[in-house]
Amino acid sequence: MQKIELMAPAGNFESLQAAIDNGCDSIYFGVEQLNMRARATVNFTLDDLEEIEKRCSEKNVRTYLTLNTIIYDHDLSIVKTLIKRAKEANITAVIAMDQAVISMAREQQMEVHISTQINITNIETVKFYSMFADTIVLSRELSLRQVKKITEDIEKDQIKGPSGRLIEIEIFGHGALCMAVSGKCYMSLHSHNSSANRGACKQNCRKKYTVIDQETGFEMELDNEYIMSPKDLCTIDFLDQVGDAGIKVLKIEGRGRAPEYVAKVIKCYRDAIDSLANGTYDKEKVISWMQELEKVYNRGFWNGYYLGQKLGEWSKESGSHATQKKVYLGRGEHYFDKAKIAQFKIDAYDVAIGDTILVTGPTTGAQEMELKQMFVNDAPAEKATKGDEVTMKLDFKVRRSDKLYKIVKTEFAEN
Amino acid sequence: MVVITLQRKKCIGCNYCVELAPAQFQMSKKDGKTVLLHSIEKKGFFTIKSFDESIFDCSNEAKKACPVNIIEVKQI
Repeated sequence: MQKIELMAPAGNFESLQAAIDNGCDSIYFGVEQLNMRARATVNFTLDDLEEIEKRCSEKNVRTYLTLNTIIYDHDLSIVKTLIKRAKEANITAVIAMDQAVISMAREQQMEVHISTQINITNIETVKFYSMFADTIVLSRELSLRQVKKITEDIEKDQIKGPSGRLIEIEIFGHGALCMAVSGKCYMSLHSHNSSANRGACKQNCRKKYTVIDQETGFEMELDNEYIMSPKDLCTIDFLDQVGDAGIKVLKIEGRGRAPEYVAKVIKCYRDAIDSLANGTYDKEKVISWMQELEKVYNRGFWNGYYLGQKLGEWSKESGSHATQKKVYLGRGEHYFDKAKIAQFKIDAYDVAIGDTILVTGPTTGAQEMELKQMFVNDAPAEKATKGDEVTMKLDFKVRRSDKLYKIVKTEFAEN
Repeated sequence: MVVITLQRKKCIGCNYCVELAPAQFQMSKKDGKTVLLHSIEKKGFFTIKSFDESIFDCSNEAKKACPVNIIEVKQI
């Protein structure tokens, strides 16, 4: 079994750093407007390409630029510019859906990955796209049995991409799944004139709905009002079967998620993939990974369509089922390099010895630890509160752009 | 007077404003974002002031259609 490549989402520099620090093999990210998270308030710009590449290449992390929205005529010039700049910045590949993007990337000798939005579900389509791409993301709706058949046929028929290597198959491993076919959805466009396929999904499928027959007024009795909101995909508990399907890349969804989410999920899947490779993957570890994954944003977990059973696993509440959440405490003020002491100003709430704290920032990523010792106004203290200047020993550099949080349990932790 | 303001940087190039108010908006082939024609820029905000009241309705439709709410239309 080949070792699976772990691909992490990066919506901003915090998440990018968190993904690198926690052991991803590759990252995917969007720049400017032509990606599925174009609506996000924080998005990378063209000028960030060099910095992204620099941080990733230092750790041998591959970089994939998502250019996977529908493309209009007026976008063609920016597509060309994006690909050109990505090529100049040594970005590894472009993830494409539209044929114009595929064609333009090929013209500029840029490696292409076929996005899941193309919805590839059979070997003939794999063969067709092998003319243009080395890596193909399969449709999210396939079962692992079907995925395995495709990877076996690639091997049997020796289907190779432009690089001359056998086609590599990528699938989604963890994160939000929507009811749309492989992410192609028009719901948000119809209801809010906000096209998901231009990266402006309003996520209105995540709300409560009732089903009423307009002719008779008959309202269908439903157990769950969240009839269009599937639970989140999680494959960590059957990762051995995922590996057995012959996939090369496991993609973690979540470019809109917080850095601590990326840190936690990537750390768990890194451990799981490594355990699988060295033969120590077992039930006990799965239980502890699941407990960790439940701590961060999730709508409850299910197996997606991979195991071919239990369709329609809808979430039952709005928002997250996470057992933990972060509470903002304050911001970084200073770091004394020699003594490795960080200074924070507490702006809200309070913090005490024994609490789990989280520091996030564009260069810091997401660092979580137990607070064992601290000083308030230069004196050792058990507790600090709003307005206090707090110092503590931390092994990593803290910057003024960093934020300090406290991790607390949510109602889901009590259930 | 009709005042139209566009916060151009946040545009995702969806093209709806052009479909609804083609005399006021045009997609730029340079960066794929919309251009508020004949506007004046100040700190990233592009503005036109027009005495032609007939442009209010279509511009307002463009405002309502914008998925990222970056168009402002006022009648003063």
